[in-house]
Amino acid sequence: MKKTVDVSIPLGPVHPCWKEPVRLKCETAGERVLRVEVELGYMKKGIERIMRGRPWQEVMFLAERVCGICSVIHNMVFIEAMEKISDIAVPPRAAYLRVIVNELDRMASHILANFSYCYTIEHETLAMYLLNTRETVLDNLERITGSRINTAYMIPGGVRFDLLPEDAAAMLADLVKVEDEMKRHVRIFETGPLIALRSRGIGVMSREEAIEAHTVGPTARASGVPDSDLRLRHPTYRALGFEQITRTEGDNFARVMVRFQEVFQSIDLIRKCIETLPDGPIRGGGLCRAGEATYSGEAPRGELTYSIKTDEYGRVLDIAIRTPSIMNIEACAHSMIRDATSIADVTSTFISSDPCIACNER
Amino acid sequence: MRSIVYYVREFLRPEWLKKFFFAKTAPLVTPPYFKDYPSRTEKECTGCFSCMMICPAPEAIEVLRRKDRWEPAIYRGHCIRCGLCVEACPEDVLTSGRILDVTRHDGTALRSWYRLQVDDTLCMRCGNCCVSCPINKQVDPQLAGTGTSSSDEVIMRIEGGRVKILHEEKCTGCKTCEIHCPNRAIRVARMVEGVQGEEAEA
Amino acid sequence: MSILQEIKNAVRSRSIHVSYVDVGSCNGCDIEVLACLAPRYDIEQYGIYVHNNPREADVLLVIGSVTPQWVDKLRDIWDKIPEPKVAVAIGNCPISGCVYNRRGTLTEPPAENYIPIAAQVPGCPPRPTEILNAILSVAPLVFKDYEEKQR
Repeated sequence: MKKTVDVSIPLGPVHPCWKEPVRLKCETAGERVLRVEVELGYMKKGIERIMRGRPWQEVMFLAERVCGICSVIHNMVFIEAMEKISDIAVPPRAAYLRVIVNELDRMASHILANFSYCYTIEHETLAMYLLNTRETVLDNLERITGSRINTAYMIPGGVRFDLLPEDAAAMLADLVKVEDEMKRHVRIFETGPLIALRSRGIGVMSREEAIEAHTVGPTARASGVPDSDLRLRHPTYRALGFEQITRTEGDNFARVMVRFQEVFQSIDLIRKCIETLPDGPIRGGGLCRAGEATYSGEAPRGELTYSIKTDEYGRVLDIAIRTPSIMNIEACAHSMIRDATSIADVTSTFISSDPCIACNER
Repeated sequence: MRSIVYYVREFLRPEWLKKFFFAKTAPLVTPPYFKDYPSRTEKECTGCFSCMMICPAPEAIEVLRRKDRWEPAIYRGHCIRCGLCVEACPEDVLTSGRILDVTRHDGTALRSWYRLQVDDTLCMRCGNCCVSCPINKQVDPQLAGTGTSSSDEVIMRIEGGRVKILHEEKCTGCKTCEIHCPNRAIRVARMVEGVQGEEAEA
Repeated sequence: MSILQEIKNAVRSRSIHVSYVDVGSCNGCDIEVLACLAPRYDIEQYGIYVHNNPREADVLLVIGSVTPQWVDKLRDIWDKIPEPKVAVAIGNCPISGCVYNRRGTLTEPPAENYIPIAAQVPGCPPRPTEILNAILSVAPLVFKDYEEKQR
């Protein structure tokens, strides 16, 4: 009998599948992966150190640049934390506009995550379809905020620009197009036999493991963790009747499908927002004051928490950011990839948990 | 077999061949609502430095004195195209994308002012802040090297062995004092508030 | 000799392999490079193929302000790329450090200190069309008559 030799295979930091530098060390016996170690630290920029001693108008932009993919939610959580500290009330129209921009960003992020999963399993056709659909979503984001990525839309006490009626009409028309295209893409993904071979039953994480590893976001929801979406606790989302999507399989397929379903949910939320958009001002004013607060919001990848302490002029004295990916990456390495039957599944499983290294290391 | 014939026929169509070898997407236009680098309008810059003080990126914008007039200069490679300077300018000197139209339509503005704060436990009473301040220099050209001044109109002066701030509202937020302070005793706080409606007009 | 060179020029102008390396950015420029792949911009119709393998690349896109981990590794990656090669800085970060170049930062921009940068695309992040134009304008200048220039 041939003896299998244990080999440690490094993946990264520059690797065709990784969009960002991260290193996975896989200990293997033959094709089977015994253990995976994640090596982080290639992207540490020290954003929290730069943020100290700066007023909101500078920290806002640094918070956005923690992660470029989900920049809107970083902006939103930071600004809402500052509002919580200073008791600033947000006008209802501004609150709805925030939800619209946030959901557009979530759609773009989810479609990008699914694009990179399809790209990793070498289904390039679907990947390119998804990337083209994402462009339509980004067009709408650009129409409201003026830029595709790093939008800088929210400020304490409101938002920067109003949604003009003709833009709202154009957005509704675009959403119909996006919904039609996405339905087709989801059908391709659900029924593709080759996709099923690479996705179903691979990288399974059970519900117990997901809860034990404190996974968050779509990764947790795909494993059936209940009440893991922080949008359930956000007042504006509650007013819109938001409900969480949960699947029970916990494999790669479920994680991608949860994101697809959330895209449809986001489309519905935006439509509901535009229908019930109240009239009124979009900025209430209000100054940032001294205080301390911890505030969480639901990023596309899961729970995002900012703990902020400010001085009497609204400058940030101390700040701590807890981003969603760090739990998901560790859970992915320890539960999903462990005992994978093939090295090829390591990359696809890792990408399916939607890791964001820039978020992670800041 | 039939599928092979189908594909061969598909690929030999003249339009397809033309598309395959000479395909170019139409030159993509930048949409008018994109926030590009701010550019000048015809309005006269008054040199209030609002744009420079609100800019979140280091070294991205400077207001320069060119002969007899002020002129804002944007540095590419530093500017992050956030558009805050366009919104903050009270004279509409800069423009970028649709920002000016939309803010005029909404009636929104950013109001900013500055607060000075001296930490007495750190302050060495050297008077560097009073001497370096450009407004102090304008108000009282005879300002002494120790920071004492006979004028009551200066922003701050050394009085009785400590820095006394007299006119906080005159500060333009340039942070020159903060840079020249040897141990970061003086701090300038740039306060910004987003307002809409009558408050924005005032 | 010149005919061979002509053929080489023609082939090289339609086959540009691009590799990108993220040396500590916010991901914004990363996904804008990826967006160039989308059928709307369709980077591959110009013969530009984006992948992430420095060993077979012609153009290296440097993204991000240089973090301490990348100070030595960036040079290593540059050395692995076969000649002729060119590096393009995408975004503000490799040019000036963008918003990260402040007191308390850990980054060490600009990227020019570590590898020679041929072109810069300012913006935070730049639009995909700007990235596309930069690659298309810089690549022929470097690769045309490369062997003749060497002599």
